Amino acid sequence: MNGHLSSSILSALADGELSTDQLTAANEHLAGCPACTSDALGQSLLKSATARAGRRYELGPQLQQQLAKLAAQTPLPAESPSLRSPDAPASRSVWWSGLRGWSVAAVFILVCVSIVVLQRTTGRAGLASAARSALVSEVCDQHIAMLAASLPPQVISTDRHTVKPWFQGKLPFSFNLPDKLPADTTLDGANLTYLHNQPVAQLLYSIGRHRVSVFAGEKLNPREANQLIAEHSGFHVIGFSTADLEVLAVSDVDPARLSDLARRIAEVQSRPNP
Amino acid sequence: MRESGPQTLTFEDLATPLFPSLYNVAFWLARNRSDAEDLVQETILKALRGFAAFEQGTNFKAWIFRILRNTYLTSRSGLAALRTVALEDELGDRDGSGNALHPEGAIERQTPELNLIRLSDKAALQAAMEKLPAPLLEVILLCDVEEMKYREIASVLDIPMGTVMSRVARARLALRRALEFQMPPREFRA
Repeated sequence: MNGHLSSSILSALADGELSTDQLTAANEHLAGCPACTSDALGQSLLKSATARAGRRYELGPQLQQQLAKLAAQTPLPAESPSLRSPDAPASRSVWWSGLRGWSVAAVFILVCVSIVVLQRTTGRAGLASAARSALVSEVCDQHIAMLAASLPPQVISTDRHTVKPWFQGKLPFSFNLPDKLPADTTLDGANLTYLHNQPVAQLLYSIGRHRVSVFAGEKLNPREANQLIAEHSGFHVIGFSTADLEVLAVSDVDPARLSDLARRIAEVQSRPNP
Repeated sequence: MRESGPQTLTFEDLATPLFPSLYNVAFWLARNRSDAEDLVQETILKALRGFAAFEQGTNFKAWIFRILRNTYLTSRSGLAALRTVALEDELGDRDGSGNALHPEGAIERQTPELNLIRLSDKAALQAAMEKLPAPLLEVILLCDVEEMKYREIASVLDIPMGTVMSRVARARLALRRALEFQMPPREFRA
């Protein structure tokens, strides 16, 4: 082993499949290892790209109709033993004649319970997805509002040693800003703003002529490792988290360049505060 | 109470939204339209016949994908794929060209921007997916495209969760490896 997270762990991290202990250990490692952080981001990128590339074959309308007709048929008596559960009754006639009422009642109760379980399960997944969508929408809205307002940043400076101290006393956390930025990228300043009612730093960069907002906020759930890649109204959103911070970068610039800036910011978070 | 029960309606309601996903995965596995159409229709028929034994409240998507997968395995193309790759050990350590893949822990360090450039080439990624052995392709389709949890994939493929985890990681390593070969050589951080 070379001390880095294994490909299985990084892969499971991208899939949200690590146990609590594994996640804690991975988070601790990621907080101090820019290389693995970068690799974790790469795993997430690959996952989303595979999801897009994998949706390749579209169902034609004719086959759709045929399948719909098939599915609309009354289910036939179970013929294939391999598809039946081991405890399925071998002969239905005797059972139905004697226990029809009880069976129908049991099925009814089962369906009711199933509906409740399904609603809870889909509800939880839906909530997580909705929270993520809401966050993406909110950062895009804030970025667009900043672009539309054409107001100068609350702190105007290309010097990280000016921008970072400006937040002292304004935010209940601190962060690092990279000294070396990618080519054609400049720091323009910063704003104090709010996401989900929490104070965050809105760091303003320019990549060429494209404006970039990087929102850095305090991590509310230290056990979660969040990687986020999304698109919203033509804007790209890339997010990552460290042990203490959650960071979201949004811009209409080429996603590779946005990712490069996000990576530079991620890398310096593990350093001691200068 | 009516005897017609919830079965017919429930099957139609549950199965119809999954037609596009079933067809997409069927096409990836069968690798041609005709076989994919046959595979999906046979799956629906089998599911319809077996629906009486489906345990209400359990995972219908995993259940019907398991039928699709079992139907595929007994098809001509599925049997051919099985003959190609039989043992778990053969899956992970070599790619299609016979070259050894990375051992656990020896991860190539690539920059995100380089990954993005490669991953933005959808055709290249699809070509890389086509080269995956069937056991790795099916696991990556279920995980990334169908967004199934490892537990559900384990149920569909009838393998332990640890094997799912290992196959997903191997599939992604193989994809990255394949994408590297399709790109011109470039120096990057080790």
